[in-house]
Parts: sequence; structure tokens; C-alpha cells
Amino acid sequence: MKKVLTTCEFCGCGCNFYLGVENNRVVAVYPCPSHPVSQGKLCIKGWRGHDYIHSPERLKTPLIRQGDKFREASWDESYKLIANKLQQIKEQHGSDSIAVFSSSKCTNEENYLLQKLARAAIGTNNIDQCARLCHSSTVIGLAQTFGSGAMTNSIPEIGNADVIFVIGSNTSEQHPLVANQIIKAVKGGAKLIIADPRQIQLTKIATIHLSHKVGTDVALINGMLNVIITEGLIDKKFISGRTEGFGALREEVAKFTPQKTSRITGVPAEQIIEAARIYATGKSSSIIYAMGITQHTTGVDNVMSCANLAMVTGNVGKESTGVNPLRGQNNVQGACDMGALPNVFPGYQAVANDELRQKFEKAWGVKLPSKPGATVTGAMNKFIDGSIKALYIMGENPMISDPDINHTEKALKKLDFLVVQDIFLTETAKLAHIVLPGVSFAEKDGTFTSTERKVQRVRKAIDPIGESRPDWKIITELSSHLGYKMAYPSPSEVMDEIAKLTPSYAGISYNRLEGGGLSWPCPSPDHPGTPYLHKEKFSRAGGQGKLFAIPYRPPVELPDANYPFTLTTGRVGFHWHTGTMTRKDWALNREIPEGFVEINPQDAAKVGIRNKATVKVSSRRGDISLQAKVVDTIQEGLVFIPFHFAEAAANKLTAANLDPVAEIPEYKVCAVKLERG
Amino acid sequence: MSEMKILDKTKLVEFLEKLMPDFEVTVPSYNNGNLSFSSMAHARPEIDFAGRPLVPPKEYFFPQQEEMFTFATKEGKATIKAHINKDKRVIWGIRPCDLYGIKTLDSVFLSRYVDSYYHARRENTILMGLNCNEPCEAGFCSSMGTGPFATNSNAFDLLFTNLGNQFLVEIGSKAGEELIERRANLFATASDEEKNKSNEIEKQCKQAFLYSVDQDRVKAALTKAWDDPLWAEESKNCILCGGCNFICPTCYCFNIEDIADEHEQNSTRVRYWDSCQLGGYTQMAAENTRKTQAERLRQRIYDKFSYVPARHNGAIGCTGCGRCTEVCPSEINITHILGILGRQK
Repeated sequence: MKKVLTTCEFCGCGCNFYLGVENNRVVAVYPCPSHPVSQGKLCIKGWRGHDYIHSPERLKTPLIRQGDKFREASWDESYKLIANKLQQIKEQHGSDSIAVFSSSKCTNEENYLLQKLARAAIGTNNIDQCARLCHSSTVIGLAQTFGSGAMTNSIPEIGNADVIFVIGSNTSEQHPLVANQIIKAVKGGAKLIIADPRQIQLTKIATIHLSHKVGTDVALINGMLNVIITEGLIDKKFISGRTEGFGALREEVAKFTPQKTSRITGVPAEQIIEAARIYATGKSSSIIYAMGITQHTTGVDNVMSCANLAMVTGNVGKESTGVNPLRGQNNVQGACDMGALPNVFPGYQAVANDELRQKFEKAWGVKLPSKPGATVTGAMNKFIDGSIKALYIMGENPMISDPDINHTEKALKKLDFLVVQDIFLTETAKLAHIVLPGVSFAEKDGTFTSTERKVQRVRKAIDPIGESRPDWKIITELSSHLGYKMAYPSPSEVMDEIAKLTPSYAGISYNRLEGGGLSWPCPSPDHPGTPYLHKEKFSRAGGQGKLFAIPYRPPVELPDANYPFTLTTGRVGFHWHTGTMTRKDWALNREIPEGFVEINPQDAAKVGIRNKATVKVSSRRGDISLQAKVVDTIQEGLVFIPFHFAEAAANKLTAANLDPVAEIPEYKVCAVKLERG
Repeated sequence: MSEMKILDKTKLVEFLEKLMPDFEVTVPSYNNGNLSFSSMAHARPEIDFAGRPLVPPKEYFFPQQEEMFTFATKEGKATIKAHINKDKRVIWGIRPCDLYGIKTLDSVFLSRYVDSYYHARRENTILMGLNCNEPCEAGFCSSMGTGPFATNSNAFDLLFTNLGNQFLVEIGSKAGEELIERRANLFATASDEEKNKSNEIEKQCKQAFLYSVDQDRVKAALTKAWDDPLWAEESKNCILCGGCNFICPTCYCFNIEDIADEHEQNSTRVRYWDSCQLGGYTQMAAENTRKTQAERLRQRIYDKFSYVPARHNGAIGCTGCGRCTEVCPSEINITHILGILGRQK
């Protein structure tokens, strides 16, 4: 048996393990004790979640639409057809009539190449990926406050924190090996504050649980800041030496007395005071958040509020502190780093900046567009109004993952030309004109960048299934058909090009990664990487951190007489996103085979349903029927639905209400009604 | 059975290489800093290693996933083809805890019902054990009586003890003896001095353990611990990964699935490692009878310390290897749990 060390393809923890291979099949998994995050531990997805690799449902040849069906086709025919069609649309309607969705499941090299294809071969900045849907508010919020839109500290540091404040992250289920550090810290005496409308598993070991109403995060944090400032628990030296904007912040949070904050958030005033004191008096206090913070119309505000809290107490720029967004996908950090975003080149270098654009024009030998492109969420409306005619999707499944799927379906069906590159015929691929078979992480070389900014190797363990091809190879071949030649012997040479153009990746090469991962910024070949950011100064222009005064805004769609419940969506630990991978595994599917709605016993009684009864849940946009799970771990008036299940798709209900800056949808709040099914 | 031989350490590789034409020779080796069992065909054996690979060698008899048979129907006729693995294998460097684990699996797969898959693999494999010169970090095998030196209650064909420049080799079976006879020129007869040296290493190793568990007190405590709050307390962080079962040298539960090919003409019946810690395990009438994580943790401990001994003449079901603690993302610590039980009056 061959054992190939690689990086897990599920969440942003970036665990390593070995894949055991026999006869070109993945038949075993071996944990990796030497890895600093996984430490020989894995969650069940790491142990058991890879059966999809050999699923009989894998796409094995390119498919071309013929009426209602697909026919198998050759690569050459497919490339020619795609190239001709895209050229034709570009000539008739301009480059910006084409959009590209990249993939945070794919490697850095693939994301780099696909944004290069969009910009250099097609000539558009219409490139984005699902970071728009999970952490676009982080990228923007932390860039504005600190200068760098990523986790400030490394995962192993969390185990040594004195205080950990988890807000909007069900860490045990979504980032199990980060939860491991929290458990270790608590066993070692650390205090744990949880702010979450549900009793998540970590609340069992929390010092205090703030059960705030969904969407009141800004008020809650302003209330904590009010206590911290009033009681003199601020870090004056840090505020005066390293930040700007304190005056305006102080003025805003003065309005958020514990009593007023309590009225908005539903959290008792004394709990707000206690949590503020615990956080502010910790020697090293670390904030951990995920999509409970980001997926709101106030996503950027929420993120900046977390940054305010850290800076006012001096909890950033040193070990075991910081503001730590837990990125969802295995490589969503990397997809952003690689410039699969509509406004920046790799390394967050703005497309609108003449000097930076010229650097890329010189390197890529072609004139590049300067106007930022359309986002994943913004593009949907452009499909409908006809200003974007063609879409190329690599490894995304908006028909399950986007808000208001009925709207998404309408938008995708409006397109003249849709190409989907994936490993399965997903709900989205079924709408395509041409489907190209990519490969799983086990069939290619590359790198993923984990949530702690750590670039790590993904190693090919088996040959591609059927006639499928590595995604990086597909992009280079398609680009050449489009008349823009891309030739790389292997992903290693792609990383060399990335390093040349991306200052934070400048010191990274495959050779160096053999010795383990490297955390960016890694500016030179002898640089050891950076476990925590902002040590002496912030990476923001001028070096100071920026405090923002943030008024509280409620969520857009609140419950009313017709839709009396608030729906919040999320995930479960046994499944991954749109379920295309995990729902093919017997063990994961056996744990949670179908969608469900969590509802409080009082609400269940009001609706007249018992545990496991079928419930119809409807919003203004659609309805689904699914099983009720009556639990006392959720607030009255609130229901929770995981979004993995196509047949009971939570996103038929959600609304495309967007954060005005980040354009992230408010997946965490919309109004629904419940009826007996 | 216990004639002792001496093998010069520099001759070990030669001895193993000479077996390669007839056997798949499997040895502990480092891969990116982590110890695991690998085929000597593409790995260098690690001779002076401490500790043990994280995944025990049980997988050579009971793999993570195993194709049992393929079946097909064509023109109304069914065909079945079994996949019994009869590869000849030698595994060198198995620690006493894992030798004991294999013996425990034997009592499951080879007693009342003989599992033909396990039986074929087991019958065709020669086990070469290696005693421990030092305890591993989380281990408590000395308290379980399973290590750090193997005894007749551990399964082995040959048993090696590292004396520094030489290995003391104990013969445990006819098959082991034959291998030595075939390479007799490599081995010498052990002297009393060498045997004494081995005894001294064993004594020192036993004194160096960080953890000790009072097996009898634990067993006694379990007669009264069914409703103890400790099960809920210790299991509260469990995230249901199954890792504690997967890496346990004595865990033997499996699930069986039929995997159809894309045209649904041929199917393969595959068995996979399963875990009693998972909610979906052993569902009856749609429910796992052990509804809470507390009940499932209780099951794991009772199985090792009460049910397995009851079924197998008092033989303990835990090897004391400490792996379940090491792989646990939720920091559930078996020595901590056994310590609580051992202190109960």
C-alpha cells in the first residue's frame, strides 16, 4: 500500500493525513501525528469522508447538451465549442458579458490560473467565488481595520489563550480541530465566552453563554465596549500608540448601556457586563468567529466590531490573541489570496491601481481591464437583465449554495451559455450547456491555504478517474484554445509564477513546502512564515489600526404576522456544504440522512407538531418540507435549517438581502412560517 | 517453545530481505516524520524506534475497507466471486500491545464463528514482535498486563528484544522456528547473560511508566458505575469522529455496504471499520439503542473492561496502548476515566 501525505479537502483547519492507495483506489486514511493542527486527530469527515472519490456517479467524460439530455464528447470537441462560443459572445457583447466563478475547493494554482484566464484570456474582472457567500465581509472588514483580511493568529496559539470569545461559530461541528484547541485551553484554566442564539456543544464548557438574538451582534459588542470603557478596562497605551478613531467609537458605544443593549439583544445586562469584564481582563484574549458574524447585511459591521473589541483591549498583535475568522472551505483563504475576486489581483493588489495593473500586464503580456467586475451575488442580477450572457463555473454549486435558489435558477436559465467544470453532475451542472469533468483532491498536485494562512501541499495519490483531467490542466488547455497560451509542466511552476507576482507568497515554493506548511506573509525564500500578524504595526497603510464607530442596524427581514418565525441557516458536522461529496458516504449519511428543522418545544406545541413530524416551512420566496427536530437548545421564535440537502434546500427560503459593501447575503436571518406537513 | 536466539542488529535487514522473495515483508518506517507500517519493498525498516505507529497492525487482518465479494446478474443468472486474501506476509516490529490486540481479535473472528476473510489473512501472516525498551507517552500497558514485554498471552511467532547491539529472539511458534532454521547462519544461541540483560531492560521499562491503572479496582467499580455522572461529564465534548474505535487494536466492529458500479450490473460487497461511538451505529427500528454520547462512552469502557473479559475467560479488552487518547479531537482521556473509576469506593 502506498501512503501519500496530503491536506484534507473539507474545512479550513488544514489537517493533514495520509491516503492509503491500492490499485489506484483510496482504501485507507492514516492520521498525521506530526502536524501541528491535526496532531494525529481527525474528525469523521477526515476519517471517512472520501468515498465520493470512487463514486460511480463521478463524471468521466465531457458532456455536451443535446436538447434535454447530455451526450458524451471528446475534450477537443468540447474545448473548441467553448472557445468558439466565448469568442463569439465576447466579440458581440464585450468581455464583460462573460463571468467566471472560481472555486474555493480547488487549489491555489487552479484559482490563480482561472483568474488569469478571466483577466488575460477573456479580458474581464468578472471573477469571484464562494468567499462572497461566507467571508467577503471578513476580507473587507479586517482589511479596513487591520489592513489584512485574514485570521490574525495561528490555530495552535488558541490552546494557550487565557480567554476565548467564540461568537457566531459552531466550532465543534465546523472546525473540529480548532475546537480541540479551545477544549485544551479550557482544560488548562482558560475562560470561554460563547455568544450564539443556539446552545452549541461548546456551551457545555463555557464560562458564560450569551444567547443573543440573531443579527444583534453589533449591539452586543458595542454593549461590551461600553462596559469596558466605562469601567476603565481599556488598554490606553495600545489605543494611543497603535490605533486611530477611538473618540468616535467611544461616542457611539456610549449609547449602548448594558440595559439598552439587553433590550436589543435579549441578553441580561449582568451577563453583558460579566462577559465584557472577562474578555477585557484576560492576559491574552482571542476572538473566534465564523459565519454567524459574516452572513448578515451588517456582515462588515460585525467584523469591524470584533476588531474594535480586540484593539480597545490591546488583544491583537501578540500570541494567543487576535481576531480569528474561521474560513469555511479548505481553500477559501487561498482562492481569495489568488485574486479570484472581482477587484484584486493575487495578493489583494487592486485592479484599479495603475502601477499594480501594469505589473501584471507586463508579466502576462496583455492589456488588462481596470474596472472591478461583478460579484457572485451581483452577477445573478446581471444574468437576469442580460448584461452577462455567459458563465464559466469551476467547482461551485450555486443551485444549492446561493440564497433564494428559485431566483438563482431563473438567473442561470437566462444565460446564453453555461459551462460547469465539476466532479459530479450537480444541480448546477444539470443546467449547463457543456460539462467538463475535473478531478478530486486525491488526483492532483497543488496547494491549499488553510484558515490560519498556511500554505500546504496537496499531493496526487491516484490517477484521474475515467477521462477526467486535473482542473489546472483543463484551464491551461482551454486558455490555449482561447488564443492565450498557458503552458506549465506542473503546478509547481504555477506556484513559482504566483511567488513572483504576489509579495505575501514570494518566499513560497514546492521545495520549501516539503518541510511542512508556510504561513503568509512569507516575503522571501529564507523567511520562516508568519504565525501571527500585526506584531509591531498593522499592515494597514500608515501602520495604525482603525477603530470604527458602528451604529446598530437590525436585520432586513424580521418576522411579522404572516411569517412569525426567524430562520437561521447553517451546517452540520457530518456534511459538507451542498452535500455533493459527503452525502455519498454511508457513514456520514447514516448519521444525518436528510434535512431537518430545529425548533423549540414551545414553538413546536404552538405549531402543533411533535419531534420527527414533517413540517412545511415557507418564506416569501419558496417552501420546503422536512423533518422537525424539537430541541431545547434553540431560542423560542427561532428555527434552524442546515443547507446541505437539495431535496429540502434551505436556500429556497433565504433572501438575497446583501451587505451593502461586501455583497454577502443575509443567510442567517429571514422570516418564515411553519405548518404541519 | 521459549528457546532464545541472538541476532546481531546489523543482520536484521539481511534476515528480513531474505524473506522478501517468499513474503510481503512489512516493517515500521518513517514517512514525513510519522511512524507507520509499510512494505519493505518501498520503505526502509526503522530498527531503533520508540513508540508504535498510530494505526495498529490489525488492518493487515481486518482492513479499513475490504472487498468481500463481487456479484452480478446476467441473463437471469447470478454469479458470486469471493475475494479471499491469501498473500504471504511477515510483519516485523509489532509491539506487545498490538500482539495482544491480535490475540483479542482472534478470539472474535476465529472462535465460535470463523471469519474466512480474517482467517485467510491471519493464517498467511507471520508475526514478529518487538518488546519495548521504554513506555510510550500515553501508554499503560504494564497495568493491563499486555506489555511492555510480550508473554504467552500475546500472539507472536518470533519476539525480538533490543539489547543495544543485538536482538534477543524468542521463538513463539513452529512457523517462527522454521524461518530461523532457514537462516540459521545469522543466529546464535543466547547466553544467560543476554537473557539477564533482557530481564533488566524489562524491569527498568516497567518502572518508567507515567500512568498506572488498577485493573481490579476498575473492574470492581464498573459493577456500580452504570448510572455514574462521569459518563455524561467525560463525553460532553465528543464530536463523534469514531477515531477511538478505528485505532483501537481490539475494536472489531464493521459495517457492510453493497457498492454498485455505474451501470448497476456488478456490485461489490465491502466491509468497513465501524464505530460504536457514532449515532448511526447499530440502528434498530430507526434508532440507536444508546441514544446519548454518555451511553456510548460507557459502552466503550464497559466493553473493554467488563464484556470482553466476560466472554473471553477474563482476558482484558484494553491493551493500554493509549491511542484512543492520542487521536481524540475532544481530549477524552482513557487514563483519566480509569483513574476516576479506580478511585471509587
